[in-house]
Amino acid sequence: MSARAAERWRARGLAAFAGLILAFLMLPVVVVVLASFTSTSYLTIPPKGLTLRWYEAVFSDREYIDALWFSLLLAIVVTAVSIVLGTMAAYALSRRQVPAAPAISGLLMSPLAFPGVVIGVALLQYYSLTGLRGSFIGLLLAHLVITLPYTVRTILASMAGADPEIEAAARVLGANPWVAFWKATLPVIRPGMMAGGLFAFITSFDNVPVTIFILGTRHMTLPVKIFTAIEYGVDPSIAALSTVLIAGTAIFLVLAERWVGFHRFA
Amino acid sequence: MSTRLARRLERNGLGLLSPPLVLLLLVFLLPLLAMVPTSLHPYIPGKGIGEGFTAEHYVKALTDTYYLEIIGRTLALGLIVTLICLALGYPLAFFLARTQSRWRPWLMLLVVFPLLLNLVVRTFGWIALLANRGLVNDTLVALGIVETPVKLLFNFSGLLIALSHIFLPFMVLVLVGVIRNLPRDVEDAARTLGAGWATTFLRVTLPLSLPGILAGSILVFVLTVSALVTPRLLGGPTYKVMSTLIYDQFLQLLNWPAGAALSFILTAIAVGLISLSSAVARRLGAGA
Repeated sequence: MSARAAERWRARGLAAFAGLILAFLMLPVVVVVLASFTSTSYLTIPPKGLTLRWYEAVFSDREYIDALWFSLLLAIVVTAVSIVLGTMAAYALSRRQVPAAPAISGLLMSPLAFPGVVIGVALLQYYSLTGLRGSFIGLLLAHLVITLPYTVRTILASMAGADPEIEAAARVLGANPWVAFWKATLPVIRPGMMAGGLFAFITSFDNVPVTIFILGTRHMTLPVKIFTAIEYGVDPSIAALSTVLIAGTAIFLVLAERWVGFHRFA
Repeated sequence: MSTRLARRLERNGLGLLSPPLVLLLLVFLLPLLAMVPTSLHPYIPGKGIGEGFTAEHYVKALTDTYYLEIIGRTLALGLIVTLICLALGYPLAFFLARTQSRWRPWLMLLVVFPLLLNLVVRTFGWIALLANRGLVNDTLVALGIVETPVKLLFNFSGLLIALSHIFLPFMVLVLVGVIRNLPRDVEDAARTLGAGWATTFLRVTLPLSLPGILAGSILVFVLTVSALVTPRLLGGPTYKVMSTLIYDQFLQLLNWPAGAALSFILTAIAVGLISLSSAVARRLGAGA
């Protein structure tokens, strides 16, 4: 076999292996979608029969619908505030002479290094003492802590592309600081804000390890609701709900890719 | 506030930084610090946190065989999951970094998609796959490889498979970034000088991607030992790892002191490894 031919076979072998691994990555997703259509009352793959009754069951269940809306509301508020706080921190760190800047940016990133369950139990005790347990504001603050590293990091990265001279020029020409920032810097860092916001949204919408400890009884988020439902026992309605989330995530990903070229930030 | 102070805060950036810093101080650092005394109080069954101070929870966690088994299991899980992710992730990352295919952005999205999908949903998929009447066992029985279903839930192998799947995308994304930035001309030079592809890979490509391998491995290891949702759902209430043990101590047994002590041990492992690896990465960077 010539060296050329050997090279070609190696490339094909690598591509085939890569294809297998990608299939492995998608396997649980495909399985969940298939399982949601079964007409049996237990999970089975391939599905026996074909029915949409599990979707009907999920959409007529008030608890699931309420949890979905609550999770979306929480994630949207968290994302908006996290982008504002992240922009403030990133702007200060890149444009001002911040004393002890490495320590401060280390602190802003540190929630990433701590296991979620540790942050969760620490907040359980703290919120029990301060009366924040079960409150919306308590959830919001906790989610801000775990999303801030993402917004700070992506916005800080995009600040590198924003020339401080342009904003300074706007100031010299008489714009007030707010207008100068809005017109000169914001347009450049917008992709970073969007990408950081997407990470913040997903982190908040997805979170169980921190949320489950501080949720209390007044509110319920969707992932915690599914988590507890699975602990009680699995049935095809969980597969139907999961399929809805799979479809939602796929649409979200394609839109995000169109907007900001998501894969570059991942 | 005087205008002079306001101007100083504006110039050194602390005015802008104070809202995020106050948030982290009040909702992150203070809660963690408040758990330190908790971990040092005795626990009185049925009553909760007792008076006085003791190191018994730390001593017990690090000497009692029940706790040691769970800590050992957690670390073993982290290590093997990391190795599996490396073995599966490196070839995939290499392919994604080097392919000229016009499908490349879409293939990358296939790696990102599972990451964005709700973790509970992915774990649920593995329950459907690994159950006694799940797809994996049905296939194994149908193919005649085994006669009766293999137990894959509530044990080590189930956690191993599912956690490797869940953290593989992190490894791949880190490695793709590093492999894409490798200087191709060094590889070409090795080939021109007569090295075969295997020698070139082992002596040139692999050593050059070492920083990525280190970063990806630390990330996957720390994520695995910290994972709560997947071990809880696939391990059930009986097959425990450190994070699910902490979960039970706080929510089921209400033994907060022991839970707090275990939290700090888990944190020491995670944060310790991350700091160690950044120190190593700095030395690698300085040596290159």
